[in-house]
Amino acid sequence: MRPVEARIFDEGYRRYDGTRRGEAAAVRSLWAHTVQRIMGLRRSARHKVLPFVSVVIAYLPAVAFIGILSLLPADRTRDFVPSYPQYYGFISAAILLFVVFSAPEALCPDRRYRSLSLYLASPLTRDTYLLAKAAAVGTVLTFVTTGPQLLLLVGYVLENHGPHGPQGVLLMFVRILGAGLTMAAFYTAFSLALSSLTDRRGLATGASLIVLAGSQAVTGALVFGFGLPSALLLFNLNLAPYELAVRILGGHRRLLMLPSTSTAVVALVCLIWTVVGAIAVWARYQRLQVTR
Amino acid sequence: MAEGVSKRWGSTQALMSATFTIGPGITGLLGANGAGKTTLLTLILGLHKPDGGSMAVLGVDPFRAGAAMRARIGYAPEHDALPPDVVAQDLVRHMAEIHGLPHRVATARASDALYEVGLGEERFRPIGTMSTGQRQRVKLAQAIVHDPALVLLDEPTNGLDPMQRDEMLGLIRHVGADLGLDVVLSSHLLDEVERVSDSVVIIDAGRAVAGGRLDDLRRMGEDELVVELDIGAVEPGDVVARLAAAGVAAMMDGPRIIVALEAPSVYDAVRDVLAESGAGLRSLRRRTRSLEDVFLASGASGYADGLVPLTS
Repeated sequence: MRPVEARIFDEGYRRYDGTRRGEAAAVRSLWAHTVQRIMGLRRSARHKVLPFVSVVIAYLPAVAFIGILSLLPADRTRDFVPSYPQYYGFISAAILLFVVFSAPEALCPDRRYRSLSLYLASPLTRDTYLLAKAAAVGTVLTFVTTGPQLLLLVGYVLENHGPHGPQGVLLMFVRILGAGLTMAAFYTAFSLALSSLTDRRGLATGASLIVLAGSQAVTGALVFGFGLPSALLLFNLNLAPYELAVRILGGHRRLLMLPSTSTAVVALVCLIWTVVGAIAVWARYQRLQVTR
Repeated sequence: MAEGVSKRWGSTQALMSATFTIGPGITGLLGANGAGKTTLLTLILGLHKPDGGSMAVLGVDPFRAGAAMRARIGYAPEHDALPPDVVAQDLVRHMAEIHGLPHRVATARASDALYEVGLGEERFRPIGTMSTGQRQRVKLAQAIVHDPALVLLDEPTNGLDPMQRDEMLGLIRHVGADLGLDVVLSSHLLDEVERVSDSVVIIDAGRAVAGGRLDDLRRMGEDELVVELDIGAVEPGDVVARLAAAGVAAMMDGPRIIVALEAPSVYDAVRDVLAESGAGLRSLRRRTRSLEDVFLASGASGYADGLVPLTS
């Protein structure tokens, strides 16, 4: 009689003797889970609307400009399509949307539904938990601060709209990455800091909008209304990271809001804002009482 | 194992020189609300450093070992801790990955764990659409999915109706006895600890006042015999007097007679006295103590603070 080969596919619950990945894998898993959550993946359709709209706002103009470049003669489009720094003007709304809903979505539910106690009972610590959350928010923000410009770079190069030569392309690639990552880091720290103060997503989103709009209104009134030094505009949280990003991208002087302020000062102020935000969220989570 | 562990939160002394050992099987951590059970669980998890004393969990200092040790522990907190808009399978798989399991293994084990707690058909439902009992099961599933060496369950029957409670206790027994996982069950309910636990540690006002295997604790009363007589045939007081005359120490305990079992010959003496007096014997057994007896004998003051006795 021929022996029959049989396999049991459903063994049920059993002991696990395989390798266990360490803390880094836990951080990666939480990062991936949080990115999915922010983007509405594996969730109902209504959670996908806002991220989808933001992505469309960020990428659609780039696709349109590349299409225009490919369809119309070069002499008619040369002055029509935006430069890399100018493109921020088209995607600032998408960036704003991502800034105000990403961090609240990443941080608030874990405290509201008290899932944080499950995470802290795992190999994650408060620090590694925050690292994963910050990386997730940063990843999502980078998707809109860097992705559209990279798409533009590919399109412009293919349509011979510049930059020219391998060195020029590489330099612009690095500039786009630098500008996008800088802006993402700035807004990640800012939005996480505000989101750490409440467990309500709506409140955190509202607070982010108010602080962004408030800083713009107050600094604008002080500089343009009372004639105070224009450097005060660096306290405008809507302006400071863009000012730095435009400079990193090598934008023309006329695109700058603070042409008389050195790039080093702008970079230093942005760095201080980023560090202050990061310390604020870190300090908040060190004091947070999760279980007793 | 804990040796003289103390922990203070502000002006509240949550634990005071608590010394105990938790062995294999299911251990009930019994104490009234505010006795220090949850604090003890957080110290076992290494989330806080004890103010005094020392602890060893799975052979290591939990506070120093931290993350590496927590990878081998499963924890279900007392409170609701599950995001309502996440599907049960996704959450349990995610917690398995967080505890170090590769993605494919985590996915398979998430299904297995949810089947094990009776949610096989419900595992693709968002947690927010589940009943309290189902959510408690999801909490249990995420605590066992990564095959932990130790499972900590903090008041796992909170908010459950009597039927759901029975089912949850059955599941906990299943996890400990059939799946072979060591479990620490924190509860203020005497009967549920007695029903599912192999061992118990009684916490009262931050102190571990009694502990050990339930069988051993119950046997501590086995140096006595309980004699129950047919009512009306003979006065129990008469039998007690006859036993005293035969040199056997005995006392009335309501309708029962408690006889000191000082030597095996006491059985013969009781037999002879009952035969001489013509009393009808309803039962004769060695005395065993309930967990409630153990609790009361420990001197714990739990009832006033919300500990629920067996009779409730």
